[in-house]
Amino acid sequence: MIVGSQKPIEEIWEMVRDFKKVLVFGCNTCVAICHAGGEKEAETIASLIRMRAQQEGKEMVVDHLGVMRHCEPEYFDPVMDEVRKYDLILSTACGVGVNFLSDRTGSVPVYPGINTSFYGAVEAPGSFVELCAGCGNCILHMTGGICPIARCSKTLMNGPCGGTNDGKCEVSKDIDCAWYLIVERMKQLGTLEKLSEVLPPRNWSTSRDGGPRRVSLEHIRAYEAQEGQDSGTAGGMK
Amino acid sequence: MAPEKTEEAPQPYRPYGAELKETRPYSPCRAACPAHTDVQAYVGLIAQGKYHEAFEVITAPNPIASVCSMICHHPCEQSCRRCAIDEPLAVRHLKRFAIEKSLDYRRAKRRLVKKTKGKSVGIIGSGPSGLAAARDLADFGYDVAIYERHPVLGGMLASAIPPYRLPREMLKEDIDDVISKGIEVKTNCEIGRDIKIDDLEKRHDAVLIAIGLSLSRSLPIPGVGGPGVLLAIPFLQDVAFGRKPALGKKVLVIGGGNVAMDVARTARRLGVKDVSMVCLESAEEMPAWKWEVDEALEESIKINHRWGPKAVRREGAGVKGLEVVKVKSVFDQNGRFSPSFDNDQTSLIEADTIIITIGQMSDISFLKDSVVKVDERGRVEWDPATQMSSARGVFVSGEVVTGPGSAIAAVVSGHRAALAIHLYCQGEAIEGNLPVQEKERVEQMPAEVVEKVAREPRLKIKHLAPEVRCDSMVHFEIGYDEAEALKEAGRCRGCGGGAVVDQKKCMACLTCMRVCPYGAPVVTSVSEIRPQYCQACGLCAPECPAEAISMVSYDVKEIRRSLPQVVGRVEPGRKEPLIVAFVCTHHVGVLGFDLPKNARTVPVHCTSRVDVLDLLKAVESGADGVAVVRCGDGTCKYREIAPRVNARVKRGQDLLKTLGMEPGRIELLTASTGNGGNPYATVVSDFSERIKQMGLRGVK
Repeated sequence: MIVGSQKPIEEIWEMVRDFKKVLVFGCNTCVAICHAGGEKEAETIASLIRMRAQQEGKEMVVDHLGVMRHCEPEYFDPVMDEVRKYDLILSTACGVGVNFLSDRTGSVPVYPGINTSFYGAVEAPGSFVELCAGCGNCILHMTGGICPIARCSKTLMNGPCGGTNDGKCEVSKDIDCAWYLIVERMKQLGTLEKLSEVLPPRNWSTSRDGGPRRVSLEHIRAYEAQEGQDSGTAGGMK
Repeated sequence: MAPEKTEEAPQPYRPYGAELKETRPYSPCRAACPAHTDVQAYVGLIAQGKYHEAFEVITAPNPIASVCSMICHHPCEQSCRRCAIDEPLAVRHLKRFAIEKSLDYRRAKRRLVKKTKGKSVGIIGSGPSGLAAARDLADFGYDVAIYERHPVLGGMLASAIPPYRLPREMLKEDIDDVISKGIEVKTNCEIGRDIKIDDLEKRHDAVLIAIGLSLSRSLPIPGVGGPGVLLAIPFLQDVAFGRKPALGKKVLVIGGGNVAMDVARTARRLGVKDVSMVCLESAEEMPAWKWEVDEALEESIKINHRWGPKAVRREGAGVKGLEVVKVKSVFDQNGRFSPSFDNDQTSLIEADTIIITIGQMSDISFLKDSVVKVDERGRVEWDPATQMSSARGVFVSGEVVTGPGSAIAAVVSGHRAALAIHLYCQGEAIEGNLPVQEKERVEQMPAEVVEKVAREPRLKIKHLAPEVRCDSMVHFEIGYDEAEALKEAGRCRGCGGGAVVDQKKCMACLTCMRVCPYGAPVVTSVSEIRPQYCQACGLCAPECPAEAISMVSYDVKEIRRSLPQVVGRVEPGRKEPLIVAFVCTHHVGVLGFDLPKNARTVPVHCTSRVDVLDLLKAVESGADGVAVVRCGDGTCKYREIAPRVNARVKRGQDLLKTLGMEPGRIELLTASTGNGGNPYATVVSDFSERIKQMGLRGVK
C-alpha cells in the first residue's frame, strides 16, 4: 500500500491561510491504514486548522469529510457537488489522489494535506517500511525476494559494496545492508549460486524517467472505450 | 391535582443511537423483560448521573415502573451476563433508585393530553394491563374512561399486594402519571352491578376487559366450609383496605406460589407468631421465587414440603388442623402438573386458621348473556392475533386471558390491546400489525472472555431485620443511596451497547482486531465486532482510522458533538480556568463526582472512549485545560486501557505544541482512593491550579 505521513501544521497553515472555506478531505484506504489521511486524521487536521485560525483571529470555515478512495471517481463523485462548494480542498490522500481529484474539481484547487512517502507494508501496528520502488521491471525472483532497488542505499544490482559492515549499511547503522539480507536469504533458499551470474545493466525506461507511466489493459479498455468512458485526468489518455 | 396545560402527547425520549440499537441484538436483560425495557441503557445513564434520562428510558415501555421497582420478578437479572462472571446486576434496585431520584421531575412533567381522535374507549379494570392500555390510548388522543370496582385504582396492586412489598405511595405516583393525561376515572363502579357490559359497549367506540384474576380458587376437601378457613384474595383485600382479618394463633397457608408467600408473610405481620405453609412441591420445585422463600424462612415461617391437603379437621366449629397426605410426585413424565399421593402416609398439621392460596380465576359473571362469549370452561373467548373477544369492538388483555403471570407481562398485554384498539378505531387491520415479542439477543459470554473480566460482587441490598420488619406492614427493603447505586451501576458490562462497524467505511485495516483485548472483532472483507465478545469498553472506536466504528450506547461521536455545549460560553474576563474533564463513570460512587465549579464534567463510560479529537475539540471550544480522569489500574473494569489512553493524551499534547500552546493544557489524571476523600475532585482541582499558573487563554 501507499504510506503517507502528515505535514506539520505550520506548512499546512501557510497553504490554507488565505482561504475562507476549506474542506479537509480524507481518503479511507492506504493512507487511512497508515493513520495519515483517513477520515479521522482529516478531522484532526481540520481541528488544528480551526485552532490556528482562532489564534490568528481569522474567520474560516473548516470541515472534514472522507470517502473510500480518491483514486477512483466512483468513490467521490456522489459528494462532488458538496465538495465544489469549498474554496479549497485539502486532500489527505496520497499524491495520486490529490492529482486525480484536482483534475476533476474545476475552479476549486486541491492541495496536499500529507506527504506521500513510499510503497510499504505494516511491519507492526504504527510502523511502516518501504519495500518496493515501483520501478516497473521486477527482479525479486533473482534476489531472494528482497528488492535491491528499494532497499539498497545505492540501488546496486550486483552487491554488496565495500560499505557493508556486519550486515549494516555504511549510510547508517540503523539500515540493514540489502545485499547482506539477499545473500543470507538465498543461502537459506539454497539458491545462492544464482548470484554468480552478473546482472546486466538495467533498462530504466520502465522507471521514473520518461513521463508518467500508464498501464492499459486492452481486454478491459476495449469495452470501456466503446462506452465513451475516457480519462478525465489532465493530459490523460484520449 | 390534575395539571391544567393540555398538550399533544410528548415524543418519547430516545437516547442517542436508539435507531442503530434497534437493528442490533438486544442485551439479554432487555430481551428477557416482557416489555423490552432497555435496561442496559438506563443502567448506563444512572452510572453517568443522568437520573431523569434513566427515568425516561425506564418508563417508556412501562407505566407502572415504580411498582416494578418494588415487586418485579426481574427476569432481566436472571438473564444478566454477569451471572457467568459472579452475580447479576441489581437491576430492580437501580430502577428504584432512578425513580426515587426523579420524583419531582415526574410530577412536573404531568400534562393533560389533547383528545384529538374524537372517539372513546372504556377500560374495565385498572391493574397493570388496564393502566398500560389507558396510558397508550390517551397518548394516541382518545377519550379514555376507566371503570374500577374498588374505591382506588391499581387492581391487584392496590387491593391485594401487601403493603410491606409495595408501598402505596409508589403505586400512586404511577397511577397519577397515567391519570394526569386526562383519563376519566369511575371507581366503586362494578360492571354487571352498576352498569351492564352491553351499555358500556354502546357508550364507547371500543371496550377493553382487563379485569385480571380476582377470585381465589378453593379446595374441594372435607371441612373446608365454615369459620377458620379463608381464601387468599379476600384475606389480602382485607389487609390492603385496612380491615383486620380474624386470625388465630397458628396460621397454616396452603400453597407454594408467590401469592402464598404474600399471604404467609402478611399473616406474620398481623401479629401471628406461628405461621407455616404446606405445599405439594419440594423446595426445588416450589413455584415461589427463591428470594421470597428465603425471606419467609428468615421471618420464621415454616414450610412443609411435599404434602397434599386431604381434609380440614375441626373441633366443634373451629379448625383443629389440616390432614395432609404425602406427595409421591408433582409432575408427570412430560413435566405436566399431575400430583400423585401415597395414601398410606398421612399427617395432621395443627392450625386454627387455614388460608387457601392455590390459584386464582377471573370473575366474569358480568359477561353472562352479554355480547361477549365465554367458553364451556368459563374462559373469555378471544383471538390473540387481534386481542378481540367474540364481540366486535370489545377487546381483552392481561391475566383474564393470558392466565397468571407477572405485572410487567400484563403491561405488555395492555400495550398490545391499546394498539389493537387504535387500529380498530382507525379502521385499519389489526392482525399482523401487533408487535412481535421475541427479539434476537446477545449470546452468552464465551468462556475466554469471562476469564478476562474482573470479579466484582453485587452490592447487597439491605433489609430491615426480620424481628423488626414482622412488626409492621412497612416496606422492608432499604434502597441504595447514591454512592451505592453508582457503584452497582458501574458493574454493568454494557451488553448490546458495544462497538458496531459501519461496513461502508471499513477498509479492513485490522486496527480494531489488534486493539481489542477481548478478541471481539473479526476482520474478513470488513470488520465485524461480535457482540457476545464485546465488553463495550470503547477502546477500538477512537483507534479506527476511517471513523467506521460507533458505540451503540454513549457513542464517542455523541460526546464530541456535544462538547461546545458542554463548554458553554467562555467568559473573557474569567478568573478561574475553564476545565473540561472527561471522567470515567465507573467509579463515581467511590471516587466522588462533584468536581470544582470551573470544571465541565463529561462522563464517559470508560476513558478508553476518549479520542485525541475530543481533546482537541475541547481546546477548540475554549477550554483552558483538558483532563482525562481515569480510575487507577487496580480498579479499571477493562483491560489494556492505560497505554492507549496515555498515547492519545501524549499526541494531543504534541499537537498543542505544534500550535505553539503549552502541552500541559492536556493531561491524563489518575484518581484513586489515595487522593483523599473526593479523589476525582482533588486531582481536577490540582490540575486546575496548574492551568491557572500557565495562564488563561485569551485573558490578559
